[in-house]
Amino acid sequence: MSTVQTVPLVPPRRTLAERYPALRRFLRHRAALLGVGIVLFMTLLSFVGPLLMPFNATDTDIRARLAVPFGGPHVLGTDPLGRDVLARLMYAGRISLAVGFAATALSVVVGVLVGLVAGFYRGAIGAALMRFVDAMLCFPTIFLLLAVAALIEPSVTSIVLLIALASWMEVARVVEGQIRSLRERDFALAAESLGASDSRIMFRELLPNAVAPIVVAATLNIAHAILAESYISFLGFGIQPPTPSWGNMLENAQSYLTNAPWLAIVPGLAITLTVTSFNFIGDGLRDALDAKLDR
Amino acid sequence: MNDHSSELKGSNMKRTNKIGDAPMGKLTRRDAVFAGAATFALGSLGSLGLAARAHAAAPATKPTGQAILGFSQEVTVLHPLMTANEVDQGVWWNLFSPLWMLDAEGKFVPLLAKSVPTLENGGISADGLSWRVELRNDVKWHDGKPLTAEDVKYSINLMKNPAFRARNRTAFEYIASVGVEGDHVITWKLKEPYAPLTSVLSWTFIVPAHILSQNPDPNSPLFAAAPVGTGPFKFVSRKTGDHLILEANPNYFGKGPSLNRLIFKYVPDLNAMYTQFKTGEIDFIGLQGIPANFYKEATALRGRRVHAAPRGGVENLTLNLAHPALADKTVRKALNIAMDRQAICDLVYYGVPKPANNYLVPTHWASNPNLPKPEYDPKKASAMLDQAGWVRGADGIRVKNGVRLSFTNSTTTGNQLRAQTQQLIADDFKKIGVEMLIKNMVAAVLWADFWRNSEFDSLMTAPTYTIASDPDITHRFGSASIPKETKSGSNVSQYKNAGVDALLARGRQEYNLAKRKEIYAKVQELIMDDLPFLPLFYEVQIEGTKTGLDGYANNVNALANSWNAASWRWTA
Amino acid sequence: MARYLLRRLLQSLLLLALVSVIAFAILHLAPGGPLAQFVATGDLGTEDIDRLMKQYGLDRPVPIQYLDWAGSIATGDWGNSYRDQLPVLKKIGMHVGPTLELMVSSTLLAMFIGGMIGILGAVRRYSFFDHLATIGAMVALSIPTFWFGLAVIYVFSVNLGWLPAGNRETIGDGSFIDRLQHLVAPCIVLALVSTAVWSRYMRSSMLDVVNQDYIRTAKSKGVPAMQILLRHALRNALLPMITITGLHVSTLLSGALVTETVFTWPGMGRLFLDSVSNRDYPVVMGMLMFTACMVLLGSLVADLLYSVADPRIKGASK
Repeated sequence: MSTVQTVPLVPPRRTLAERYPALRRFLRHRAALLGVGIVLFMTLLSFVGPLLMPFNATDTDIRARLAVPFGGPHVLGTDPLGRDVLARLMYAGRISLAVGFAATALSVVVGVLVGLVAGFYRGAIGAALMRFVDAMLCFPTIFLLLAVAALIEPSVTSIVLLIALASWMEVARVVEGQIRSLRERDFALAAESLGASDSRIMFRELLPNAVAPIVVAATLNIAHAILAESYISFLGFGIQPPTPSWGNMLENAQSYLTNAPWLAIVPGLAITLTVTSFNFIGDGLRDALDAKLDR
Repeated sequence: MNDHSSELKGSNMKRTNKIGDAPMGKLTRRDAVFAGAATFALGSLGSLGLAARAHAAAPATKPTGQAILGFSQEVTVLHPLMTANEVDQGVWWNLFSPLWMLDAEGKFVPLLAKSVPTLENGGISADGLSWRVELRNDVKWHDGKPLTAEDVKYSINLMKNPAFRARNRTAFEYIASVGVEGDHVITWKLKEPYAPLTSVLSWTFIVPAHILSQNPDPNSPLFAAAPVGTGPFKFVSRKTGDHLILEANPNYFGKGPSLNRLIFKYVPDLNAMYTQFKTGEIDFIGLQGIPANFYKEATALRGRRVHAAPRGGVENLTLNLAHPALADKTVRKALNIAMDRQAICDLVYYGVPKPANNYLVPTHWASNPNLPKPEYDPKKASAMLDQAGWVRGADGIRVKNGVRLSFTNSTTTGNQLRAQTQQLIADDFKKIGVEMLIKNMVAAVLWADFWRNSEFDSLMTAPTYTIASDPDITHRFGSASIPKETKSGSNVSQYKNAGVDALLARGRQEYNLAKRKEIYAKVQELIMDDLPFLPLFYEVQIEGTKTGLDGYANNVNALANSWNAASWRWTA
Repeated sequence: MARYLLRRLLQSLLLLALVSVIAFAILHLAPGGPLAQFVATGDLGTEDIDRLMKQYGLDRPVPIQYLDWAGSIATGDWGNSYRDQLPVLKKIGMHVGPTLELMVSSTLLAMFIGGMIGILGAVRRYSFFDHLATIGAMVALSIPTFWFGLAVIYVFSVNLGWLPAGNRETIGDGSFIDRLQHLVAPCIVLALVSTAVWSRYMRSSMLDVVNQDYIRTAKSKGVPAMQILLRHALRNALLPMITITGLHVSTLLSGALVTETVFTWPGMGRLFLDSVSNRDYPVVMGMLMFTACMVLLGSLVADLLYSVADPRIKGASK
């Protein structure tokens, strides 16, 4: 047997997990993986599910109203107008998930911009911006949501804007904190001395290094956004019927609590499951990206 | 879920009971005959007799017991001349007194006045301009001072005071001057004859001049914080957002009260209120009362009585006649017969209300019984539209001259049953090639510019078209009452019909009941032919009382059925 | 310390001013007005609406209205409710009590239960109980409060009849037992989220503390485990927990609003909901300012305690 170790001239291909240690850490987080699975399932259910269903979310069938789940052709029963609950759940999922994602995207964009500018420029601009953020944070979320929701014409767009309005502040805070400390780091100062423009430094140098906390905040924001939509729809100021959303399904289910409790159980479970999943994912991301977080 | 005032925050859950249960049906015909023969002195004599009836036969013993009345609106306005909700008036009936009132049968019953002025009894001069009312001399305010004509004069002038935040003032603009003759006679002169004034005054509660005149600011909140009236109950306390407590007035000039305490409890959520009714935490559940889907269950409850109370409202589709498709009368007529009203009443409202074909409820003395009955004939509707040139497009929706037969329908959010109704109607319309899109919004937005500037295509609401049950509906259908054009009135449909205007002008000045009835019968004919709105059904509220609490009587001429709480009592 | 306080107070006042501008803008620039609720009753004509708008001063340009409002609030006059003419502060004052009752009782409950769960979880790290607690906390944070509230009402009021279905007291009763009975359900519901937060925080702070030197020293000295935990660790973990409460005020208020709605609890949430729906501007403005004050107060107290606990951070902004 030769004792010479043959060293391959070409380094072996490393797996994704090996190349990105954060990913590896994430994959070890069982709850987060479960969360990802559930979210994927709910997304598929909402967006693809309706195509496979024999029932519509809007077809009324008064004679079959308030059917009990698992009792007949309607797997999850029917609502007071005879509409299939599972179908409505799916369509509602589209709305609720879409609202969650869109509101989060918007709040992240706004929050990142504000945080970037405030953290980079500091001084008067920074202070003014952050005071504005602080002022907005003085409103308890629901109070702010209600105050605006009760005053506007509810539609999916306006609800998305509304929820984004109530959630961009945390992102801005996080980003501002990150940018402020990153700004003093060597690479940033180097770029500055090389004559790079402000926006280049902000977007090309600083922002990429602050991605980790933004991702975590964004994920948790999605969870909050879905909950927020359910809260304002429940209070009657959110998505209006006939457009179904998990929140307004719950609102309508209230009066039927005693004779048709599944109407309330089903959407409530959907919300809980989805939001929990996003929370787990956010948790997992936070743990995985922990090393990257400047503390 | 969140219920607020009847139209306001939605959740206007209509419940209906079998209308046959209510004694009203029988008395209606008697009313009509009586009203027709009316005019002579029988008026005042009959009224006096009925005065005793209005405050039913209650034993003249010391008032005992308390009743907790649950409402889904909060009592917030205790000054009876300011803008308010239905439940506020429900309290005013017990705290204050108007000169006269309309009882459950639609008769005028004098309260503070000795008799209701008419042309026949000389209370109104022959030219209709001078009114003279004699007041009772045994009425005392809750603070002991006697009621005098000065109080009535003060109240009327307050309504005319430009600085005062009065409720609807239209009628009072017709009063040129007010005078008193001694302590117990009040007179006033009108600018022109105005028949609806009698009705309006039945909702005008008299306030104490000696207390209010002390404050230079007519809008001062001090009076409302400690209201003093002449009613069967006195104000005790109010806990905002929770309840209001009234106590028996031992010096009430009329019969009663039998109860010692009245508690108006505010429960914002209909479901919660119903639960509290079941568990007995409240003795009476009123206004929107019991949700329709609990109706069956409620009638089976032990120890509870459920009352189907036909009210004055008509659930309808209010149309904006400026919409290019809705401006076409044929379209409106077709839509009117394309809706399956019976299905809506039976399926959504559990069979409680009845389909409607008028803006006046059938028990109203001026209601025209000869209008075309509600029809459901989608085939005929389709044929009508075909003939009128509305051709189905590729998507199934009819088009004519480039105008699609598509419009939106709006109502207040949070009203599940209405939302279901909208769905059913949209389905019905789809079948005949009409598209109705649902666009709901919160009440505070709907009832603002959206309503007032006629920005809507169609609304689904249940207004009571009359004010104090007077058949004069100028504010609703008069050409000069279009808010968008004249900044006055509530004719948001933008309906214009010169014939109707002329008739309404005559009706306003005509004091003779029989002649008025004729005039308004014609008005109803014209309006229901033009269809500025599509009537759906007559509103019925399901209210409930604990067995043993007697005296409840539905009065469509009062905004809340606590109007006669002075004659409520516990029997075992 | 005094300078720090002063600086924070000034900052807070500035924030409140900003808050008031934002709130006023939102309220007044949105469509709809306070008279809508009366339009529905049917006897208000457009001319009445216009007249009333003028009488309420609502037809003036918004900046003028704001200055008017700001001026009067500076002199202590928070205005009167459009609905029942009551002074706004008085009205809010009548509703603060019930909400504080809810908030305080639920926080205490959450601290107690959440604390115990957290400690147990930290002590038996990675055990089945610990995992269950972690997942449970996550779920608790994800359950819509009102859904949980409805479930509680359904089970305990409608089906079992053990607890009343809502309200703060039975009218005419109001005894301590009666009030306690009514408080149980909403308190538990509101405590759900807080319990989750406390359990997780307690767990992590216990974990940090348990590994500290002085604990090991005590252990090596032979002091019994439980005593160590309770005396040293708890005491040190408690102070930061109190700061968390201060920062938690905003979330608590939000939760209270929803809970009050489900249980028809006559608190601030109820008042806010009604006032917003009716566009009772003075009350809504008053409440937004009031809750903003509460939030600021909470975070101020939290920061103060935090800086007391950790002198290195004294004077740092939050």
